[in-house]
Amino acid sequence: MSLVVRDVTKSFGGFRALDAVSFAMDGAAMLGIIGPNGAGKSTLFSVVSGFMAADRGTVALDGRPLDRLGAAARARAGMVRTFQVPREFHHLTVRENLMAAAPGQSGEGLLGLFLRPGRVRAEEEAIGAEADATIAFLRLTAVAGTPAGRLSGGQKKLLELGRALMAKPRLILLDEPFAGVNPVLVAELGERIAALNARGIGFLVIEHDLAALSRLVPRVLVMDRGRVLAEGPPGEVLRDPAVREAYLGGAAA
Amino acid sequence: MFGALLVAGIVHGLIIGLAAMAVTLVFGIARFPNAAAGDTMTAGAYAGFLAHRATGSLALAGGAAVVAAGAVSLLGYLLVFRPLARRPVASLLVAAIGVAFLIRAVLGLMFGHQQQVFQVPLAWPIEVMGLRIPPMDITLAAVAGVSLAAAFGVLYLTSIGRQMRAVADDPDLARVSGIRPVRVMVALWLLAGAAAGIAGLMLGVKTVVSPEMGWEGLLSAFAAAILGGIGSPVGAVLAGLLLGVAQEVSTPYVGFTYKIALAFAVMLAVLLLRPRGLLGRVEEVR
Amino acid sequence: MEAYLVAIAIVGAIYVLLTLGLTVQYGLTGLVNFGHVGFFAIGAYASALLSLEGVPLVASFACAALAAALAAWPIGLVALRLRDDYFAVVTLGFSETVRLVITSERWLTNGVQGVPGIPRSFAGLGVGMAGSLATLAAIALVCLAVALALRRIARSPFGRVIEAIRDNEDALRALGKDPARFKMQVLALGAALAGVAGAFYAHYITYVSPDQFIPLVTFYVWMAMIMGGVGRVSGAVVGALLLMLFLEGTRFLRDVAPDLISAVDMASVRIGAVGLALILFTLYRPQGLVGDYTRR
Repeated sequence: MSLVVRDVTKSFGGFRALDAVSFAMDGAAMLGIIGPNGAGKSTLFSVVSGFMAADRGTVALDGRPLDRLGAAARARAGMVRTFQVPREFHHLTVRENLMAAAPGQSGEGLLGLFLRPGRVRAEEEAIGAEADATIAFLRLTAVAGTPAGRLSGGQKKLLELGRALMAKPRLILLDEPFAGVNPVLVAELGERIAALNARGIGFLVIEHDLAALSRLVPRVLVMDRGRVLAEGPPGEVLRDPAVREAYLGGAAA
Repeated sequence: MFGALLVAGIVHGLIIGLAAMAVTLVFGIARFPNAAAGDTMTAGAYAGFLAHRATGSLALAGGAAVVAAGAVSLLGYLLVFRPLARRPVASLLVAAIGVAFLIRAVLGLMFGHQQQVFQVPLAWPIEVMGLRIPPMDITLAAVAGVSLAAAFGVLYLTSIGRQMRAVADDPDLARVSGIRPVRVMVALWLLAGAAAGIAGLMLGVKTVVSPEMGWEGLLSAFAAAILGGIGSPVGAVLAGLLLGVAQEVSTPYVGFTYKIALAFAVMLAVLLLRPRGLLGRVEEVR
Repeated sequence: MEAYLVAIAIVGAIYVLLTLGLTVQYGLTGLVNFGHVGFFAIGAYASALLSLEGVPLVASFACAALAAALAAWPIGLVALRLRDDYFAVVTLGFSETVRLVITSERWLTNGVQGVPGIPRSFAGLGVGMAGSLATLAAIALVCLAVALALRRIARSPFGRVIEAIRDNEDALRALGKDPARFKMQVLALGAALAGVAGAFYAHYITYVSPDQFIPLVTFYVWMAMIMGGVGRVSGAVVGALLLMLFLEGTRFLRDVAPDLISAVDMASVRIGAVGLALILFTLYRPQGLVGDYTRR
């Protein structure tokens, strides 16, 4: 897996949200993205995942340029994002949320539904089993049959991760996976992510909880005002005076 | 021939432009296409018609149209759209259709379905640079001009107008900057109603007054609002003029009934090629 | 009396079919289709004109469905990638444009005079009760089959995706699925159902003209759907029955007391009642009279 982002620039009116952002991820890597509010982190996610068009610059996954693809096509290419504010399908149960994410279902075509009922049933069983396994892996079994709208904020974060997994990506973009998650669960969620990474899935993670992030990822990218300020191991980067100036406002510790 | 159609198109375009302004302000600020805008026009037309029949004064008719349509518009907001503000947009769309039907029904019951005609004195066309222009067209253009000047005065010179435009540009930004939404919304619905009322009055003078007139003009108003760019009052007026002239000039070729279909074609073309319209703000295609 | 009951049952069943079409589009997927009557009109005229050319009714019905679905395609292409509210405006404009085309293209549709003498369905059984009952049976069967098919769709992977679209389109795109592709199928399916309803209508009334296809019809269907409970297949049936009660009730009122209210005033009262119903249901009972809003 490799993600190469080069010179990505995005302006809103006169405001430059991203200014020639470049970085690369190799292998089954994990990369954290930190920076103050308004640094452009979420805009970067939106541009990389195809929810916004970049003004300039390129995004490539495994050497394949994605710039002409929309969000859905980029996800099919192997890169799935989650959202800062969870976007669960609130009428669907947790299990249905996960099942909806599975790719290539023949029951998703009106023709297939009526012409090949046997095949649709067999697929449903397989996808259901996979969803149950993912639910168990994320420790959501107790709420598997609950409409997703009724979950707690932390459970919704887990649900989004589970849904992303069902889409079989090689790279997952996590937008603040620990926000709103209780501290016990944060550690657990970190473990789950690390376990997935060990299985070969790459993660790009925006996170404000620096302690949790530092435990999770070997490298971070620091952004400020639409630019990349520094990149390196979390401990090292956070000692950089420029980073401290921008990120901590120079004030605290 | 072309000149006469051009003049007719400009007057017609001013009517569409005013109606489109009512649509685009609500679309930009209250965030839904208000299907009741057409019937608000009708309410203005009837009020203007009654005032004109009683007094013979077009100015008083304009005042009556503004007051009546403004009141109808504000009532719609207070009784229906405000309670629905936090619901999905589909609820607002359906309720707006309901409001439109209700206004039309009430007007039909009050005034009957026979078409009413403004009794305006016949006058010889005036020659201006070789163009024969009916004096009533000049009067109506003046009415529209004064109304537009007043509307843009409110939008660009008053504090409430600046707040309205700020909300149109960015509803979230406006919310955090201490703008009082209810006051802005009341002003918005009054202004949109007034613009629709004048449009209705002009349409009534140019054609006939009937309970269906506004609904029939709705599609052109929507098309112009989209062509002009949602949330842009200047765009709405420009697009209304363009559309009005295009409709009149094309009538000899496509026939009378396809005038409205032209509005639909323009709407489709804009949505296909440039969804943000002529002067619309840049909105990310989600 | 029996003839009257059969007649309103047939019209009621036509409304059931229309409401089922809208239920797929709005109830299950969230598409705000304000131009339903346009697809109804296309189906009615397509089947009427083809059958007058000698095409057998089975084929003309199929063509009605196909024509309506094909008409949905460009509409979907333009409007489905935009926000819901644009879709509502475009479909409303579409149905008005369909009526304008029918009015203007006299060579094809005979304009405002309309198309008379459309072959009656089951004409072989004569013009009396037998033919009407056969028509009623046929349309009731179609409604039943459609209702069962829709229930199957609602509980299938396809149903899961369209419900996900209603809940959060962006999340679905983030998972690699194109909402527009599913919406297009839903739009075409609902349009085809309206087209078939139009064919039944044309061959039952045996006369079509542009003034039968005004936007008010679209909102009769919306009213039926909302009253019955949005998003429920059974709600479509209940709502259409309530709608027939309303339409026939207002007509009955005028028949028994013609002095009380004139025909034009009654038309206004109907429009006003539809308007008021749309407002009040949206405000106070968005789940319909009997519906459960939280689950399908």
